[in-house]
Amino acid sequence: MKSNTNNSRSVNSTVGGAKRPPRIPIGHWLGVLPFFVFSGMFLIAPTLVLAYRSLEGPEGGLTLDNYRQLASDTVMNSYGMSIKISLTTAILGGLIGFVIAWVVSMGGLPPRFRLITTTFSGVAANFAGVPLATAYVFTLGRVGLVTALFKMFGVNLYKTGFSLYSFFGLTLVYLYFQIPLMVLTILPALDGLKREWREAAENLGATQIQYWRYVALPVLTPSILGTMILLFGNSFGAHATAYALTGGLFDLATLLIGRQISGDVLHNPGLGYAVAMGMVFIMAFSIFIYSILQRRSERWLK
Amino acid sequence: MSYLSISHVTKQYGDTVVVDDFNLDIEKGEFVSFLGPSGCGKTTTLRMVAGFEIPTAGKILLDGADITDKAPNQRNVGMIFQAYALFPNMTVAQNIGFGLSVRKESKEMVAQRVDEMISLVNLEKHATKYPYQLSGGQQQRVSLARALAIHPQVLLLDEPLSALDAKIRVSLRAEIRTIQKKLGITAIFVTHDQEEALSISDRIVVMNSGLMEQVGTPFEIYNFPTTVFAANFVGSLNNASAEVVDPANSLISIDGVQFESGIDLKERRKGDKVRVAIRPERLSFASEQKKANVVDATIENITFLGSVVRIQLKIGNTKFNMDTFNNPFLELPKIGAIEQVTCSREAVLVLDE
Amino acid sequence: MTTTPVSPAIATNKRPVTTQRLGSWLIYLVVSLYFLIPLAATFYWSLRGKKDVLSFEAYRKLFADTSFLPAFSQSIINAIATIFLCLLIVVPTAYWVTLRLPKLRPVVEFITLLPFVIPAVVLVFGIIRLYSAPPLLFTATYNSSRVVLICVYVCLSFPYMFRSVDNGLRAIDVRTLTEAAQSLGANWVTILFRVIFPNLRVALLSGALLTFAIVIGELTIALYMAQHTLGPYMSDLTRSKVYEPSAMAIVAFAITWAAMGIIDFVGRGASRQAQKTEAE
Repeated sequence: MKSNTNNSRSVNSTVGGAKRPPRIPIGHWLGVLPFFVFSGMFLIAPTLVLAYRSLEGPEGGLTLDNYRQLASDTVMNSYGMSIKISLTTAILGGLIGFVIAWVVSMGGLPPRFRLITTTFSGVAANFAGVPLATAYVFTLGRVGLVTALFKMFGVNLYKTGFSLYSFFGLTLVYLYFQIPLMVLTILPALDGLKREWREAAENLGATQIQYWRYVALPVLTPSILGTMILLFGNSFGAHATAYALTGGLFDLATLLIGRQISGDVLHNPGLGYAVAMGMVFIMAFSIFIYSILQRRSERWLK
Repeated sequence: MSYLSISHVTKQYGDTVVVDDFNLDIEKGEFVSFLGPSGCGKTTTLRMVAGFEIPTAGKILLDGADITDKAPNQRNVGMIFQAYALFPNMTVAQNIGFGLSVRKESKEMVAQRVDEMISLVNLEKHATKYPYQLSGGQQQRVSLARALAIHPQVLLLDEPLSALDAKIRVSLRAEIRTIQKKLGITAIFVTHDQEEALSISDRIVVMNSGLMEQVGTPFEIYNFPTTVFAANFVGSLNNASAEVVDPANSLISIDGVQFESGIDLKERRKGDKVRVAIRPERLSFASEQKKANVVDATIENITFLGSVVRIQLKIGNTKFNMDTFNNPFLELPKIGAIEQVTCSREAVLVLDE
Repeated sequence: MTTTPVSPAIATNKRPVTTQRLGSWLIYLVVSLYFLIPLAATFYWSLRGKKDVLSFEAYRKLFADTSFLPAFSQSIINAIATIFLCLLIVVPTAYWVTLRLPKLRPVVEFITLLPFVIPAVVLVFGIIRLYSAPPLLFTATYNSSRVVLICVYVCLSFPYMFRSVDNGLRAIDVRTLTEAAQSLGANWVTILFRVIFPNLRVALLSGALLTFAIVIGELTIALYMAQHTLGPYMSDLTRSKVYEPSAMAIVAFAITWAAMGIIDFVGRGASRQAQKTEAE
């Protein structure tokens, strides 16, 4: 079956520019065809549809109006909250995750703790969504166990203005999968710190602190930064946990899009698509920066 | 009073003894090699001098001061690692200057010393490069410069050439020796390559399974090995079991073939079993020149190795290798022929097992 | 054997790092509390199904719920279908990209990054808009939507499956194996199914388990495509029942823990195998 027409979009656009390798049997293209068909149909095409429709004006022509309207209050509030939470959980999760990774790899704990930590991190990262939200409701919700414990000591959490369904609450919940993601991603980088670097530094007269300040931390910085950016993207695009926690009614970019799917809450379909594409741009940008930093750190840590 | 004194140093991990009663006095400016196979304890001993391992027993004294328990960052010894260990986030110049900047020397001082070191190792054009942009040999030279920059009292080299190509290995080892002589700095060089050790050391310590087998100059170790291990490890060797025939006259017999040895055998008795070693290059054809020992040998095989021709013989029932310099005009014997082979008394070494 | 007394410092190699060690333990403890308390609280609540007494009543009610089993089984079947399809697509792709089409590798790796660039909620938005109207009306019936759902899940699993398989191929030196099989007369079907797949067992298992964990509890896409899988079911549960959600959360945790545990267990066996092969 000649398949040049089917995969023309993805294949030609990749081979275009580079000269076509001669005489590669069609059978080889068949092997990768399903992959391109699937990703084309269920990843690329839907996104392209959104992109196209976001540029569609109410009359049908192409316009950037929808993107200009992103500056409106409703949208900005949701985006702003998403960015606030994502920045906070990225930095906090990054720092705490780094410290934990350091503790289990070179902090002097028994080696078994490392395996326990990595397995649990995998679980915790996957726990996100309804189970995580449920767990927190039972912990810090109005009738949660910890809330009740506080009451026993005379502290009424919710009277002090605390609420699980707020910036603070969501940050607390999001850290539950952000910290493990950081731990899992940064451990290989910590392993990449060669023992000889520390020994050479000591041999040349440096203390532990000087070694970390002048050698280890600079070498690790691209990885740490890159992973924090990964964390940012992860939090920015998260939907399920927030939905389960707040019923979809909170001011968050992903929840806004969710409401838009169920009905035109923005009173402007084009704007809805622009909001969605805006998310894609932000995510694409962060993944891009992440891969640059990843490449830099690999150069030093391989 | 020696400059560096390693005295009765032992290192034990649980039940395993990795270094057993190591004793060595090194003079100032001396270049000593620790030579031995993997696992013989040479690197561990070096690391104890550097401070990365603490001896289970024994003392290490440097210029009179006891450094046995001192932290590695307080010993003022310069270490060079097999894997270069250059800091990847710093340029060549920054790497070399690291030790000095850590000691809070002034910027000018650091810069001046760095320039000195860079010209010492001939890397002027590479001062602003990063380690990943350098070849292995260049990285090792930076490593050397970095260690020397802090004016160390001793230079410690842990198999620095093992990761390099053969040609670079040869040129770099000569460079290291030249620099060491020029600066007059005491050095300990760990290697498993006997050619390296022989070519650049003042003295060699041959080690095996944590023990010191023999200490001596390269000449001594090669020509007068005192143990079977030392004889086998350094240079190639013919090995045979023999019996003492006449202790007073130092006569031994290998499979009934009699040899006179240059070693004093008066302590032994007739009939004692001993191990005998003869270097391949000490055997030659009797037709050229007769020496003290002359025996019959059957030619088994002839291998052309370039500058050396290796002839495999059988004397009695024992196989021997004979090395002779290549000579295009020399007629070599035929395989299967019986020729007369000779060697001096001193060539016949009698060894402790 | 020792002729001088042992050095006054320690006979081992460890310098006094007790303060550092103490700090490590403290930090680990505090952070562990953060992670364990919600689990403990949930577990506690899940035992409060019956008034005033600790019991597994909540669990019983959960499993007795008429909508639980259908939702659970739908999710399981979706997961299995996803794994199966994903393997069938990714393994040949990774194989061909490694051996015959190395120029396509950057493209393929870019595509495996897409699920991270396109958040699930945005993706389902696009899916619905694209496939809810003729000529591409794929979401007309529940079952056809379900097929679309599975196809989307397959794409979302590409990153994990591809990375697993790619690492596995690298570990078994696929080029040499293929050339050996070809010299013995095998065609590509035989090579794929009788040489490659069997040797990739561990990598495939890891990828499959990761995919399983992702699909089984997925909420966002299933929700907006009106599918009755475990995700939406759990979400409804939180709004309708009091104690059952906590039991559900504990069950979800147990399943995920089992999946991750198996991956780690199998993975360690594999790395030991790889070390053995390398040493030979």
